[in-house]
Amino acid sequence: MSDTTRPVEATQTQAEPPGASGPGEVSGAEIVLTDVVKRYAGQDAAAVGGLTLTIPAGEIVMFVGPSGCGKTTSLKMINRLIEPTSGTIEIAGKDIRTQSENQLRRQIGYVIQGGSLFPHMTVEKNIAIVPKLLGWDRSRIHDRVTELLDLVGLDPERYRNRHPRELSGGQQQRVGVARGLAADPPVVLMDEPFGAVDPITRQRLQDELLSIQRELHKTIVCVTHDIDEAIKLGDRIVILREGAEVAQYDTPEVVLSAPADDFVADFVGAGSSLKALSLARVEDIELRHPTTAKVGDAVAKVTEQARANGDTAVVVLDDRGRPVGWPWLRQLRGDRIVRPEGELIDVDIRSTLNDALDSMLSSSHGAAVVTGERDQYLGVVDFDAVTTHIRLLEEQRGE
Amino acid sequence: MSRRGIVVELLVPVVLVVLILGGYVWWRETANLNPTELRQLDWATIRGEAWEHIKLTVVSSVLVVLIAVPLGVVLTRRGMTWLSPIAVGIANIGQSAPSIGLIVLFYIWLNVHPFWTGFRVTVLTLTLYGILPVLRNTITGLRGVDRTLVEAARGLGMSAPARLLRVELPLALPVIMAGVRTTLILVVGTATLATFIDGGGLGDTINSGIQLYQFSVMVAGAVLVVALALVVEWVGRVLELVIRPRGV
Amino acid sequence: MWNFIHDRRSEIAFNTYQHALLVFYAVVIATILAVVIAVVITRIRGLDVAANQVSAIALTIPSFALVGLLLPVVHLGPTIGLVAVAFYAVWPILRNAVVGLQGVDPILLESARGMGMSEATVLWRVRLPLAWPVILAGIRISTQMSMGIAAIASYALGPGLGTYIFTGLSKGGVAANGLNYTVVAIVGIVVVALIADGLLVLLGRLTVSKGIR
Repeated sequence: MSDTTRPVEATQTQAEPPGASGPGEVSGAEIVLTDVVKRYAGQDAAAVGGLTLTIPAGEIVMFVGPSGCGKTTSLKMINRLIEPTSGTIEIAGKDIRTQSENQLRRQIGYVIQGGSLFPHMTVEKNIAIVPKLLGWDRSRIHDRVTELLDLVGLDPERYRNRHPRELSGGQQQRVGVARGLAADPPVVLMDEPFGAVDPITRQRLQDELLSIQRELHKTIVCVTHDIDEAIKLGDRIVILREGAEVAQYDTPEVVLSAPADDFVADFVGAGSSLKALSLARVEDIELRHPTTAKVGDAVAKVTEQARANGDTAVVVLDDRGRPVGWPWLRQLRGDRIVRPEGELIDVDIRSTLNDALDSMLSSSHGAAVVTGERDQYLGVVDFDAVTTHIRLLEEQRGE
Repeated sequence: MSRRGIVVELLVPVVLVVLILGGYVWWRETANLNPTELRQLDWATIRGEAWEHIKLTVVSSVLVVLIAVPLGVVLTRRGMTWLSPIAVGIANIGQSAPSIGLIVLFYIWLNVHPFWTGFRVTVLTLTLYGILPVLRNTITGLRGVDRTLVEAARGLGMSAPARLLRVELPLALPVIMAGVRTTLILVVGTATLATFIDGGGLGDTINSGIQLYQFSVMVAGAVLVVALALVVEWVGRVLELVIRPRGV
Repeated sequence: MWNFIHDRRSEIAFNTYQHALLVFYAVVIATILAVVIAVVITRIRGLDVAANQVSAIALTIPSFALVGLLLPVVHLGPTIGLVAVAFYAVWPILRNAVVGLQGVDPILLESARGMGMSEATVLWRVRLPLAWPVILAGIRISTQMSMGIAAIASYALGPGLGTYIFTGLSKGGVAANGLNYTVVAIVGIVVVALIADGLLVLLGRLTVSKGIR
């Protein structure tokens, strides 16, 4: 974690006492796998053949590899959905077999592809499952659900009583993440969490996860088959080959620039210089700050201000400082600014430049609105800033 | 199904029943009946038979649910699944046996003991006869629950009983209820046969009509049984709609 | 028991044959009716929903009540049995025939018409053969159901094994052969039902095109 593109707070806070939780502090726990083996009856080769791995507290570690390489099996052994044939797994220094499997699982978040929400339960009930199992009282659960829905960017009052089928795929997945985080577990396991949604939604969900992680600092173990996702989300990547043999375990930068062998190089694939765009993030470049307005502001005043700033469009924010639209001045009608129709495509401050470029291309402004924690508006990123940054990187590389 | 479809489906039986019963009452009050007919179609008699018929149906159906659902649960638990084709097979053969035959058989067998009144023998037969649809649908319904949801429940740390009660059974409920509805129809129809072993019910009126060779009486009995069967079927549909968990 | 059967073997055989024949006729009539109705229904939009409603309601009519309703119309005798059994046998076949005919891929129908087949040829050469396995499944359900209904119908002096049940009932007690009569009837009907089902499965093997089995 020496690269400047990485956030610094994660490493800084590692010295702080464990158990403290709050923004900027590690609430995760270290996971240590020692010589873990899983054999299935009737199969010659072990599904997992002696996996030894240390997952540092407060980091996102991505398990990536071709299908059938044992990555999901390895993940499910951590919450004992699958029992290892031999070997030990410790979380925060404690063997996971020292408590009952249900007790263990209630302390480990679990997020599955598509959300796997229970269709007969409301959003609130889905999220409340683990807190209820842990015996939280009603008002605490209610408050927690509100907090979590807010965290994953869903309006609590609007969504808490809906059933999963009344939600879009992306929203279901968000609820799935909220459910995994419900009891504030130190460790969260994710199994292809964003595999079932379209690419644009996936990108947003990934950004949101990063922004959530920036607040919570859980230990997240995430399985994916998508190397781009691994590079984007992971503090570290474990590349696995058949039998869950570790081909390389390192930061994305090292995996990209120095693949351990041909298998890794093949898996990471061509275009690694373009992939490097996935390593630079929006926070690394300077944002532009065009005129903003709040829903309900007088149109005349806003227009005047924008003209004075030399802007032809204004970013509209809601009463909680979240961007809701980016209309051109000529689109402003009536006395007061109203909430624009349609969804604004924005990018998270921790998004990769790759994703930001995607968003810019789909915007008529040739730029994208940037948000931070809980969708707070931060500014705007445009093509010029990105190209300037690329040039800078190339100069550095040249030196 | 669309909202309109549901409304139509729930309305048609109601209209039919009203028409049938209205027609019967009109006929009963206006027709010139002979003494035999008057005695057989006395209101108190009909009410008593209808009440017995409903009791037979409800008691048997409740017993069916109490037996078949837990049995279906047991047969879908790990390590027991090999038993389920055997159980369904036995229930299948049981159902291909004629209901009238089973009622008579049990009656001849059991009636030697005073506990086994015609009513109780009928309940026993109806219960055995009605198990198959609920059992089969409980097994199908539980098997049909998305495995990833069950694993999700495991992953969240739900205990086995909690998974069963809060995830598997609610999700299987629509299929189970369809089975309950089938059983209700089967049971209310078969209960007419109770008359042959003094078990009561509206079959009595049809049977006396046949015995006394009074067409009006047998048709009246048949019409009333049809109305009751339609009511029971309707109740089944309403139960199905009401009990179905929202969101599924 | 063995003596009981031995003494009456020809009578039992005859009644079994009668029972099987009654069900056979009823199911044949029901199949023809159901398929014809289904062909009509699938041509007219919206009728399939109505047909489902009607069949759901028809199946709730208790068979003993139907016997009561039919007695005044067709008088006592074998006809009642036939009509009553056929009445119930129609619905499962009808439901399956509608599902089967509607389930035929429209692209296949279009290509059949594109080849210049007439509607009748399309029905005979394409739609019915493709829907046949589903229809046959309906026939199997109807046959099983008919076995029991035929027993009830025989109360109205229809022929078949059902009469033994009522004989058993009237004789009562174990000593008076009542149990024997009833057991023979039940076992006989179950055996006939199993054989009939086996034959229908065999019929399926022989008639369902290999390509869609």
